[in-house]
Amino acid sequence: MTVATAPQVVAHPGRPLLTASDVHRHFEGLHAVDGVSIEVPPGRITGLIGPNGAGKSTFLAVLAGTLPATGGTIVFDGADVTRYPAFRRAREGLVRTFQLPSEFARLTVLENLLVAAPNNRGDSLFGALMGRRYWIDDERRIVRRARSLLQRFGMSGKESDYAGNMSGGQKRLIEIMRALMLEPRLLLLDEPMSGVHPKIVLEIQRYLQDLRAEGMTILMVEHELHMVERLCDSVVVMAQGKVIGSGTMASLRRQREIVDAYLVG
Amino acid sequence: MNTYYAANLLVYAGVDIIACLALNLQFGVSGIVNFSFIVFQAVGAYTAAVLSLPPDSANGGFQIYFGGYQMPFPIPWVGGAIAGGLLAIPVGMVVLRKLRSDYQAIALLVLSIITNEVITNARPFLNGAAGLALVPPPLSDQIDPNTDAYQYLYVALTAVCVVLVFIVVNRVVNSPYGRSMRAMREREIAAMAIGKNPVQIKMTVFIVGGVIAGLSGAILVGFIQLWAPSVWLYPETIILFAAIIVGGRGNNTGAILGALLVPVGFEEATRFIPTSFGPPGLVPALQWVAIGLLIIGFLWFRPDGVRPEPRHVFEGAPVQEDG
Amino acid sequence: MDLYVAAFGFGLVGMSVIAIAAVGFTMQFGITNMINLAYGEVMISSAYVAYYLNRAGVTIWVGMIAGALFGAAFSFLLNRFVYAPFQRKGTSHIGMVIVSLAVSLMIANLLLPIVGYYSVSYQDTTGGLLRAGGIVLTTNQIAIIGVAVVLMLAIHGLLTYTRLGKAMRATAANPTLARNCGIPTQRVIDAVWVITGALCGLAGVVAAMNSDSFAIANGAGFLITALAAAVLGGAGQPYGAMIGAVIIGMVTELSAAAWAPEYKEVVAFGILVLVMVLRPQGLLAKRGALAAAG
Repeated sequence: MTVATAPQVVAHPGRPLLTASDVHRHFEGLHAVDGVSIEVPPGRITGLIGPNGAGKSTFLAVLAGTLPATGGTIVFDGADVTRYPAFRRAREGLVRTFQLPSEFARLTVLENLLVAAPNNRGDSLFGALMGRRYWIDDERRIVRRARSLLQRFGMSGKESDYAGNMSGGQKRLIEIMRALMLEPRLLLLDEPMSGVHPKIVLEIQRYLQDLRAEGMTILMVEHELHMVERLCDSVVVMAQGKVIGSGTMASLRRQREIVDAYLVG
Repeated sequence: MNTYYAANLLVYAGVDIIACLALNLQFGVSGIVNFSFIVFQAVGAYTAAVLSLPPDSANGGFQIYFGGYQMPFPIPWVGGAIAGGLLAIPVGMVVLRKLRSDYQAIALLVLSIITNEVITNARPFLNGAAGLALVPPPLSDQIDPNTDAYQYLYVALTAVCVVLVFIVVNRVVNSPYGRSMRAMREREIAAMAIGKNPVQIKMTVFIVGGVIAGLSGAILVGFIQLWAPSVWLYPETIILFAAIIVGGRGNNTGAILGALLVPVGFEEATRFIPTSFGPPGLVPALQWVAIGLLIIGFLWFRPDGVRPEPRHVFEGAPVQEDG
Repeated sequence: MDLYVAAFGFGLVGMSVIAIAAVGFTMQFGITNMINLAYGEVMISSAYVAYYLNRAGVTIWVGMIAGALFGAAFSFLLNRFVYAPFQRKGTSHIGMVIVSLAVSLMIANLLLPIVGYYSVSYQDTTGGLLRAGGIVLTTNQIAIIGVAVVLMLAIHGLLTYTRLGKAMRATAANPTLARNCGIPTQRVIDAVWVITGALCGLAGVVAAMNSDSFAIANGAGFLITALAAAVLGGAGQPYGAMIGAVIIGMVTELSAAAWAPEYKEVVAFGILVLVMVLRPQGLLAKRGALAAAG
């Protein structure tokens, strides 16, 4: 069953959903991101690969707004979000997950999802002061949505457990579900499979494919190349803060420099 | 039991409960370590005093202070609450925006120390170290403050405020907004990634807490009728922190429990030790040592306190576990 | 004008006192990640140790050494029995701040019944006044400046040329990596507490020498000034703390001359606030008071 997570149909299917132009991020003299320009097509899974220290995670953080860019522009669905803080980008539908577990440990699994839901009348001082009756309808609606997500991802029984007590793979799922509660249009996933039990890796893979089938756009930093082959429609290769190639895996394999720099075998 | 003694106990209990509920909102629920909390209570007390006192030339003019508007109840109390909220704005803007949490705590601690020093030294402002005395108790025109009936009245007024504050704090903490506060406390960067604006939430919590703290100060000054820097030294905030840590942070009932155990229970328990015990000042000094031990002990053995933050379970939760 | 020249002289002494205190404080933070709010109380305790020796007829200079030794031992034990166990338990930064605040409260109040509330001062009949230009300083004050200069050079030498110093810098930069490279981080940390504790104790005696009188209540002021200098220079950066001390020492003395002497700490606090608002990482640090990422 599909949950109401499918984004609205993108108005211009051909136009990239996200465009980064000459993005820089330097800090303490180090150019972690050194003039990166990419285009993320809508409705596709794009991989962001490269050796360690290439700046992939930093670039993802800059796209999400977690780190401010020191140069360049980022345009998301026609809007220049370069100066937007992270929380504003999330509200616009540009949502990220984290490489290290980032669950809200002392909130229950269900609460982790509920807290991400926008449009809750109780999520403001005024709404809170007005009392339960004011926001209970919104809350019930959101609980229903969250529960169906939990069911889809197989974690219904855990809804009242503290998220901090979950396993690594479960935490990863919680983060993905949490991101979906925001009804995102572009998911920025930072190594979603890292540190996760192989069985759950396959599950996550399936979920991502389902999401793509529903029209979700995903940009994914990933290390495991066979995962990238299976999931990604195209990839961007970074090394030392710059983009050194992009396209399908097959076409990249034909480019010697890429192979030498990174793809071993 | 002496009516005045009982009223004293109950009013102090009420004020401490109100203060602990506010600090729990800031520290327990939202993770803001407001080491300057007592300053907000003080600003409420000073404001209430200055609003209710006659101009400083009265009573022989032995005090110097600004204001003296002789306003009737409830204006001083409302004014005190508003003052607490207003102070929170500049302080919050400076401290809560870009600093990491331990630096925030230290900046607030230093603020508390320095504010006390400044007020002590700036005599014409609020009468310096001597503080403000002969503050007219609320409704003293209608009822003679020296009667038992007045004591009952004051306790009742305090109780009404306690109930009001409890309702407000409860509504906030148990709402989706309270959930956002807790998420921000748990992992601020992740909270931002799901659309929460941490600065806005922190400022809101700081201001609301400030309003409540200011009210507690107004209530207290109306009862004890004086207010001086020695009453609001920075360690007073630490007692409240001890109360929250002991009672249970993130839990409103825990905050009430902590208020009853620590500032109230503690003071009462040591009241029975004769003051001639040991060198002068030994008993109060040992009280502080005990407070420090309480904090360290609880942080070591039971950091969540006697009544930890409750787990929120929603109606209609599925019963059995998935595989 | 004379007032300001004299104030300049006092500023030289002030910055010397603050430098000793601030360098110790900032090294504690830089290497062990501990914001030791009990620092001011340890300073005051050491000042009292020197005071009791002084009352027994010992000169203040020996008292200074005693204060340093006391500060070293006290700080070492404090870490060994309180801070380190909590850190090992995984207590958050903010939890450690609360712990150190509780400790500072306990130290102050354990001392109060013993030493009393009233201010005391050192007796020192040696020494005279020295004048140069418009600057008037006692020989003790000149000696304090000398001690500070020697100590700053010693710290510089320690950090740059000795194995221990390099181990300290490595531990400050990346404790896990340092440990993996075979550096005995536990012993380094112990050494840090001993050395910075000595600085702390010495700073306490010297600060007391430079005041007309002192009491337990001054502990908070000592902490604030050291803290302000450390943050201004960049948390965890010893050279930054020295620069911070110079600035704060001079500015507070000049403002005391221009304005009112009882507001010296207020000025230090004002500088602290300015730094936190305008440049939280301080003058030298790469990443000081700014919110930690992730």
